[in-house]
Amino acid sequence: MYAKKMILVAALLGCGALHSAWAGKNDDTLRIGFTRESDTLDVYFNATREGVVMAHLIWDALLWRNPKTGQYQPGLADEWAFIDNQTLEFKLKRGVKFHNGEKFDADDVVYTMNWISNPENGVKARRFVDWIKVAEKVDSNTVRIIAKKPFPAALEMLSNLLVIYPNEYHAEAGPDLFGRAPVGTGPYAVTDVDIGKKITFRANREYFGGSKGAPAIGNIVVSNFSDKNTLLAEVLTGRIDWMWNVPADQAEKLQNNPQLQVVNESTMRIGFVVMDAVGRSGDTPFTKRKVRQAVAHAINREAIVKHLVKGRSTVIHSACFPTQIGCEQSVRKYEYNPDKARRLLDEAGYPDGFRVDLHANRDRPYVEAILSDLQEVGIDANLVYIKWPALREKRRAGKVALQHTTWGSYSVNDVSAVTSVFFSDNPDDYAHDRQVRQWLAEGDNNTDLEVRKAAYSKALRRIAEQAYWVPTWTYNVNYVFSKDLNFTPDYDEYPRFYQSYWN
Amino acid sequence: MGGFTSHAGAPGKSFRGFLSHHGLVVSGGILGLIFIGAVFAPLLSAYDPYTQDLANRHIPPVWYERGTWEHFLGTDALGRDYWTRLLYGARASLFIGFVSATIAGLLGVALGVSAGYFGGRVDAAITFLINLRLSLPVILVALAVVALFSGTFLVIVVLLGCLLWDRYAVVTRTLTKQLKEKEFIASSVALGSSRTGIIAKDILPNLANHLIVVWTLEIAHAILLEAALSFLGLGVQPPTPSWGLMVSEGKDLLFFEGWLIAIPGCALFLLVLSINLVGDGIRDVTAPENLT
Amino acid sequence: MTRYVIGRLALAAGVMLVVSMLSFSMIYMAGDPAITIAGESATDADINAVRKFYRFDDPIYAQYGAWMANALRGDFGRSYYLRAPVGELITDRFPTTLLLGGLAMLFAMALAVPLGVAAAVKPNSLVDRLSLMISVLGQALPGFWFGLMLILLFSVKLRWLPPSGTESLKNFIMPAITLGYYATPAMMRLTRTSMLDVLASDYIRTAHAKGLHPAVILFKHALRNAIAPVVSLAAVQLGFMLGGSVVVESIFSIHGLGHLAWESISRNDFPPVQAIILTLSMLYVALTFCADVLNAWLDPSIRLE
Repeated sequence: MYAKKMILVAALLGCGALHSAWAGKNDDTLRIGFTRESDTLDVYFNATREGVVMAHLIWDALLWRNPKTGQYQPGLADEWAFIDNQTLEFKLKRGVKFHNGEKFDADDVVYTMNWISNPENGVKARRFVDWIKVAEKVDSNTVRIIAKKPFPAALEMLSNLLVIYPNEYHAEAGPDLFGRAPVGTGPYAVTDVDIGKKITFRANREYFGGSKGAPAIGNIVVSNFSDKNTLLAEVLTGRIDWMWNVPADQAEKLQNNPQLQVVNESTMRIGFVVMDAVGRSGDTPFTKRKVRQAVAHAINREAIVKHLVKGRSTVIHSACFPTQIGCEQSVRKYEYNPDKARRLLDEAGYPDGFRVDLHANRDRPYVEAILSDLQEVGIDANLVYIKWPALREKRRAGKVALQHTTWGSYSVNDVSAVTSVFFSDNPDDYAHDRQVRQWLAEGDNNTDLEVRKAAYSKALRRIAEQAYWVPTWTYNVNYVFSKDLNFTPDYDEYPRFYQSYWN
Repeated sequence: MGGFTSHAGAPGKSFRGFLSHHGLVVSGGILGLIFIGAVFAPLLSAYDPYTQDLANRHIPPVWYERGTWEHFLGTDALGRDYWTRLLYGARASLFIGFVSATIAGLLGVALGVSAGYFGGRVDAAITFLINLRLSLPVILVALAVVALFSGTFLVIVVLLGCLLWDRYAVVTRTLTKQLKEKEFIASSVALGSSRTGIIAKDILPNLANHLIVVWTLEIAHAILLEAALSFLGLGVQPPTPSWGLMVSEGKDLLFFEGWLIAIPGCALFLLVLSINLVGDGIRDVTAPENLT
Repeated sequence: MTRYVIGRLALAAGVMLVVSMLSFSMIYMAGDPAITIAGESATDADINAVRKFYRFDDPIYAQYGAWMANALRGDFGRSYYLRAPVGELITDRFPTTLLLGGLAMLFAMALAVPLGVAAAVKPNSLVDRLSLMISVLGQALPGFWFGLMLILLFSVKLRWLPPSGTESLKNFIMPAITLGYYATPAMMRLTRTSMLDVLASDYIRTAHAKGLHPAVILFKHALRNAIAPVVSLAAVQLGFMLGGSVVVESIFSIHGLGHLAWESISRNDFPPVQAIILTLSMLYVALTFCADVLNAWLDPSIRLE
């Protein structure tokens, strides 16, 4: 009997009355698939791209940056102005309500800014909040935010991550509950949260509109998948409407799928090879300029971009993303020339090449291609592929002679968000070039655009001349989504679902 | 289990047994071919397993329309010849399988024989170790350790060696206990043989048949585990070719270029199958009374 | 019997103590956890703040003591990444893994027991050979590969089954098969051996001599006696399955314990990993304890060992 029962149960499992949900337009629900779990919806504790994307559904910042024009537009503030070079004043929108009915006013802004900038509250996204000294209420719809020192990127931060929380609810719920049951002013309200698995949003029909506009799609469901291929299978079977970061080869194959659209868009992320020009990691050949230049000539960046990276990516020569303010483009360029690379190695005293560990934390195929190019000219590189935290620790401890890594500048369109991060006086600097440091400091601490550009230009030209880095290429993202969906990606890599609608 | 003799079975008899056992011949043949392929890889392929050709990526095998005889099993995501990668990949799988199963064997037999022979506290301590080992979830521990110490050959081989000794220990412990009661051991003791002498001369030879069977099982087990680790991105590191890694690299195009994972997957399947069959065959041939 | 049970209990407790030490020590092998927690854009000051907050500066034995004391109360600390209490995460994910393991075991039993019985009733017949073949092929099939092939066939090509998720039992069919088939061969062989033993025993011969119907003898008398060792093997296999569900959960995006463990490992978030290893070990120890006691109760000679 035992066995028969077992068979019966197994058979029942196979033919239960189960339906296959065909996603999308029919039930006015946009189903989004991510491969990175979000630990909390509180964006100050989850500044991942996915976290910020969802934050802009739930909340609003004081400003909104138009991705097409790069201009700042009203968010929760209608007007703003610099009172002096450290003080910003905002006139707030009236009549805005949070999802729970709480009224939005100056108290919410002051509470949020002071709460996040207080180090005791342990906000993770420090770069976004550390510049804030204090926020003050002038009257119920006027607020001043005072910076610790002149801070050129303030508006950028205030339009990006710095969303406004409801003071009463946040104080009452506490940060943990708030992250799981968030309340905002934004175009979508969270109706259900299953941490790490699924988040359900419903359109906020009372949304004030403003620069973001009224939401068109009724419901959004964000689900997490551990495996990109599983997610792709869901997209192929129509159970998920939208995914991103589809590898180039798959994106190419999906072009022919009649149910799907494939769109490629550039991002601000760049890749680069860093060489230890100072000898921090010991006696390394990279302290010789000719060796560094040999590496630059050895890597066939054009071929890697053409065959592997694909999409809108381009080869770069300057140590920044081309559109970033101050990103000088007329710098020395090193063309692919393995013979020249061998000659340079010979002149530097390494006719038979040398052995080195190449560190990397992502994009294994690209790094393998670089590795093979280096081997071609006699540099016997051994791949050390480790996780980001491990690489960061090793790098900051000065133990990495050669690495390929990437940087997204948190989508901040300014050289200070990339070049200054890696060439200023800090443990990430493997150049220790006093001139470069001086020029970068001049650019970072000045508010005059022309002075900044001139300073950055000198720094970037010297970086290229000395071949401290081999900047490799810009990154791109493939978005794959249902034919029914109207969605336009932006170069800043923040999908704006509140502007999407069904075709 | 039973039927011990004071010496291992006569070689002539086993050899005839080997030949008359069809499963053993076929699986041994497949295993032999894979072995030859791994050893003579450089002679069997005109390519280098590491040489990339970015302009010729993802060329399908010859039986597809776009396939060519130049790369009869196609090329991978970096334009490397798939057949060559497969041949060299066999080295990784076989090396990891054999070495880690052997390390595990040394550990397991040492523990199992001591437990069975000495009994008492030694037995209690080793039983505790066996229970401890069995209670640890193998895959999770392996993943965590590889994530912590990176996936070099040495780490993987030692790790798997330390995780897969339990079956040896259980089997040898039981058998040693039974052997100890036999007359020929008692007579060796009476003749004044030392403990190590008895273990080396009287006990180990009688365990050999069983150990070979467990050894083959563990080789297969280690190969599959390594493949699973590689699949999860925590096994042998690229660009070293390994079959698990090849499946992992090919899975991105699972829905479009199925052959990329079908080929290494089948190779893995055949290898593990033939090892298991060889193990079964050896058991059948050397200890026919175990058939029932 | 009482002595045997007490002995087994002591062994189980000892094993758990050592497992707890092993899993605790893991966090120190992971490099500096403070860097992981602080994230990509953190400054050194942020990292120091994190180090203080999580008390990474205390001596190791003090940290183990605190950790163990909390763990006994079900408090395994907080996940660095998910920021939720680990205990909560585990109670949240555990039912999914248990359901998956249970279904996989059901599948394995449904396949192994009938085939094993059939093979024992007619040794060397076609069924016997077929079941042998299934068991041999099954053992050689890499699980991750088999799972992907199932998705390819049943989800993408035929569109019969959803490729991932846990909304309904239908979602569990492919994962349960992928996880369950690996346990099938051992259980099938054991069913066959155990059944052969029972069929050759005196009381079955007596039953035949009495003229009872062969089907009645087979199911009512033989199977009932032959199944006990298979059930205790199943308990142990279930323990293995729960530990081995990592690969299956990652392929089918099932948010269970294995998936949580793997994700946590890949982001250097070790508190959940510690707790999961501890939980799975405890479960395995409990299952084997039950199996041992069951066996000892059925077969008194074991107690003497």
